[in-house]
Amino acid sequence: MMVNILFISTLLIPFIGAALGFWIGMKNEKARDIFNVVMTGLVFFIVVLLYPNIRGEGITIEIPDIMGTGLFLRLDAFRYIFVFITALVWFLATMYSTQYLIKYKKRNRYYAFFILTYASTMGIFISDNLLNLFTFFEIMSITSYFLIIHDEDEYTRDAGKTYLTMAIAGGMILLMGLFLLFDYTGSLNIYELSDKVINLGPIKYIIAWLMIIGFGVKAGMVPLHVWLPKAHPAAPAPASAILSGILLKAGVFGIMLTVLVIMDNDLILCNAIFVLGLVNMFWGGFLAIFQRNIKRILAYSSMSQIGYILMGVGLIGMLGQHNNIAIYGTLFHIFNHAIFKVLLFFSAGIIYMVLHELSINYIRGFGRNKYFLKAVFVIGFMAIIGMPGFSGFISKNLLHEALIEAKHIYGGFEMKAAEWIFIISSSFTVAYLMKIFMAVFVEKSEKFWGQFKGQVRKRALFPLMVLSGIIIYTGVRPGYVFALISQTEGMLSGHGHVPQNMYTSEVFANTALIFLLGIGIYYLVVRKWLLLDTEAGPIYKNPTLRWPNLEQHLYKPLSLVFYWGGYHLFKHVDRGLVNFFAGIGAFFRKFGDLKIDLRRFKRKDSLLADYKEKGVAMKKSGIELKDFVTSAGEKTAAAAKVKENYATEIESLGQFFSRTQGHMNSIIYALFIFAIILIGILGYLILKT
Amino acid sequence: MNFLALVPIVFPMALAGGIHFIEFKNESYRRAYLLGGVFLNFLFAMMVLIVAPPAMHLFKINDFMQISFRIDGMSKLFLTMTSFLWICTTAYSFDYMHHEGKERKFFTYFLVTLGVIVGISLAGNIFTFYIFYEFLTLSTFPLVIHTGTKEALSSGKKYLIYSFSGATLVLLGMILLFSVTGTGALDFIPGGILEGIVIGKRVTAAYVILFLGFSVKAAMVPFHSWLPAAMVAPTPVSSLLHAVAVVKSGIFALIRISFYLFGAEAVKAMHIKGYLSIPIVLTILMGSFVALHQDNLKKRLAYSTISQLGYIMIGIILLNEDALTGALLHLINHAVIKITLFFCVGVIMYRTGYKTIGEIKGIGKKMPITMGCFSIASISLIGLPPTNGFVSKWYLAMGGLQENRAIFVVILLVSALLTAGYLLPIVVAAFFSGEMDRELENKEPPLMMLIPIVLLTGVTVILGLFPNVVLHFVQNIAQTLI
Repeated sequence: MMVNILFISTLLIPFIGAALGFWIGMKNEKARDIFNVVMTGLVFFIVVLLYPNIRGEGITIEIPDIMGTGLFLRLDAFRYIFVFITALVWFLATMYSTQYLIKYKKRNRYYAFFILTYASTMGIFISDNLLNLFTFFEIMSITSYFLIIHDEDEYTRDAGKTYLTMAIAGGMILLMGLFLLFDYTGSLNIYELSDKVINLGPIKYIIAWLMIIGFGVKAGMVPLHVWLPKAHPAAPAPASAILSGILLKAGVFGIMLTVLVIMDNDLILCNAIFVLGLVNMFWGGFLAIFQRNIKRILAYSSMSQIGYILMGVGLIGMLGQHNNIAIYGTLFHIFNHAIFKVLLFFSAGIIYMVLHELSINYIRGFGRNKYFLKAVFVIGFMAIIGMPGFSGFISKNLLHEALIEAKHIYGGFEMKAAEWIFIISSSFTVAYLMKIFMAVFVEKSEKFWGQFKGQVRKRALFPLMVLSGIIIYTGVRPGYVFALISQTEGMLSGHGHVPQNMYTSEVFANTALIFLLGIGIYYLVVRKWLLLDTEAGPIYKNPTLRWPNLEQHLYKPLSLVFYWGGYHLFKHVDRGLVNFFAGIGAFFRKFGDLKIDLRRFKRKDSLLADYKEKGVAMKKSGIELKDFVTSAGEKTAAAAKVKENYATEIESLGQFFSRTQGHMNSIIYALFIFAIILIGILGYLILKT
Repeated sequence: MNFLALVPIVFPMALAGGIHFIEFKNESYRRAYLLGGVFLNFLFAMMVLIVAPPAMHLFKINDFMQISFRIDGMSKLFLTMTSFLWICTTAYSFDYMHHEGKERKFFTYFLVTLGVIVGISLAGNIFTFYIFYEFLTLSTFPLVIHTGTKEALSSGKKYLIYSFSGATLVLLGMILLFSVTGTGALDFIPGGILEGIVIGKRVTAAYVILFLGFSVKAAMVPFHSWLPAAMVAPTPVSSLLHAVAVVKSGIFALIRISFYLFGAEAVKAMHIKGYLSIPIVLTILMGSFVALHQDNLKKRLAYSTISQLGYIMIGIILLNEDALTGALLHLINHAVIKITLFFCVGVIMYRTGYKTIGEIKGIGKKMPITMGCFSIASISLIGLPPTNGFVSKWYLAMGGLQENRAIFVVILLVSALLTAGYLLPIVVAAFFSGEMDRELENKEPPLMMLIPIVLLTGVTVILGLFPNVVLHFVQNIAQTLI
């Protein structure tokens, strides 16, 4: 019971805390900052306390009636990894935010949505029912929009628009998958689904793909990644950190649930995810090399790292009886990426706090004498490239081992190519981080000599220290994380052994190869190609800006076609009936404008007798006037009379009708047409029955 | 006891007479009178629903022309919804109409319309229904042309032409149907009155003609263009009548004829689902696509209403339990959501006079509560959880899938995406597009306007989080009908 209360409070405290913090913040900002830090710290503490209870099935809670189906929550070892990194990173990010945001406006709004995003992300990771998961997922999509758009300038609005459009479109696609899933299985409880889905036949692939696309948008999967490199640089640094460190993982979490749990390691899907992972890994790393904004480099880097994770997810299914190594590699990399990427984003944030600039063309040499920042950055750098002794080394090489294992099982050219893609992508990682490191922390610049030391806030450095500590500790002693991962084996149906010792000569050889390649790419591509010497000093160029890109040259034109095409198509539907009647009216008007010469009917048509009489009479009077009046003024009057006279002689059908039915206004006219239609229908019915 | 049903019908009309003739000492007396009266009428309506017998026969002119009332799930649902929303709108319209002018005339017809709507929801046979249905057009016409401008008059004319044309078709359909059944008063009975009658061409024709006739008020393509035109009316009219009462009585009529007059079995036997779904699908897509291109906020919402009414109609025409549940839920949910959206737009017009999306830049910073409510209602209309729009969309989609029509579900989702496309830019413009270039004296609207908005937004979220009470009620109705 106590455990259940603790468990539910990890969800409720942030939800209530968001509102409470907003309320406190309206009165006293300092109190709100303290409140938020204490609250997130408390949640983290509760998450740590829950650790002993996650064995086996874990903790489950069901609350009926919420959202119609009820709220199903579960915390098992698999979810605990995600929940743990969420709680930890959010705690540190909140602490960091209190320092980072000091010069910013609208802090109260920021914190409210920051904590709401926290609550909903927690919800995603602990929900045991896809409907609940979807609910939290959508809340998270909407609330994180407020974080991205925080600066409210041109760039962030554009990034926010891209993000929101893709998030909602992705949500709809995911929802379509859930509709079909529920329709075919009658259940959305994650653990019941795998038994039911297995007998579905080909429809299950449609469902799975809809869900993978829906989650893939959030995970930044190629080709659905276009929002990612735009949104991450737009947000304030702590928000970018959580976007990259945690929210991408929400997408990965969804894909893992879909492929590994619901579809039960389906081989076709796993192969597809494996390939997509390789594409992500390569493409993200490749583009990262060309970027100049530190945060954008890190954003592309996140994309690349998500590729590693997706490749691992694919391998879990592909390795079958030997998949434990892939499970360990993937989950450990999820953990590590959250830690080191957040560390790197926080370091970038420290620079931004001082300079309000992140382009390495402007900030070169800034960090040369800032030893603490440099040390922290080096730790993150070493971790992400997989330097022995740091956490990234272990997870990357576990993934590499898994890939080699797959090469042994499947063999063939494709697997060899996959391994080379892995090696080259890893060397990209080395190259783009060296680009940042060399430019910011090694090169000399007169501009930043010893300045700004006082402006780096000490309290903002505390989260960096914690994260660095975790990286080194897990690098040296990964046992604790492994102990956690080992408990997920039942859920992800893991088999086979995991090499405990990564420090073998083979692994070192691979690592050395990657580093050498990376340094080579750095010198050949970054220094030789991208670095231009100008009068104002060396400048990095970014040729990718001129390359065709997915958003500008595919998605936007497509959506414009949709936007305008749909409108022009349906505009006619909208005006259809009105235009139809207007057309009838125009037809009658045209018909009415036909000129008729009344004189031709004078003797034949009795209907026009009246007019004839009148016309003749007028004619007569006109002639009389013309005969007897001689003054000039009266002459023109006479001429007018003659003209009128002529008009009565030749008039249009319309004028004629308007004389006879002068009061027939359009209501009667419309009723008249309806009456005709009714007569038509009645006639048809009478003839038919 | 039989005449009990007349109380909530006649009472507001008497109140309307009062408004017209009594000289109130000051504004607040009239407000108290109106709000008290409408609230009292709500209580009367509830009393009728609880106390009165399920079927009340008043008098008989001949076999066909009988006035009778009935109380069943549908009338409970519709009556409760409209009476409740009437209270909210009355409170909202005090300040708004003070600003607009000619309040006496407005409130007179506003109250008459309440009586007529109660009549529509309680009507026990199609003849009674038809009478109130015609009265609805007449009593709302003065509200549409309220401003008296040329544009308003021509819109009013359009409204009349469309409504009466529809009513004419309804009359024809009634005659045809009566010619088939021969005797009886065409009472509304769950499952229909066609038992033992062969579903021939004439019955089919009667159904189609009735459907088309009533769909004029439900704004089905191609009979919809009165609705955007009627947006010249004051905002309380647009919000309550043209997003809820009038259009929903069209929907209500479609439910009555489909499930209470002909019966689901008979309609299924006609095999016309495919044909009728074409204009409905067009309605959904047309409404959404055209709404994307409207600059005028009220027009945008009007086209959105057209599209959302299409959702409900598709739920009716699919003729299965989930779809009908979804349709009935959306009947309620859309009413609550759309009235909130209109109220917020009305507040913008009331405070600033701005009418188009280009002008409202930064308004969210001046009135965060109003625009916050607008945002929540927008999210609900898109159909994102945990709001009530999601619940109804879920059931509609399930209904579509049960008929093996995944295409309907795709259309719903495309339309939802378009809904995001036309509503979220308003939210973004209001909150994130820089500061407003003008100072406002009072930021949030007066409390009498703000309270209904916040209350209804609360309902939106609560019905999304805890839909079960309404859901079970609606499912019971759907089960008796199919």
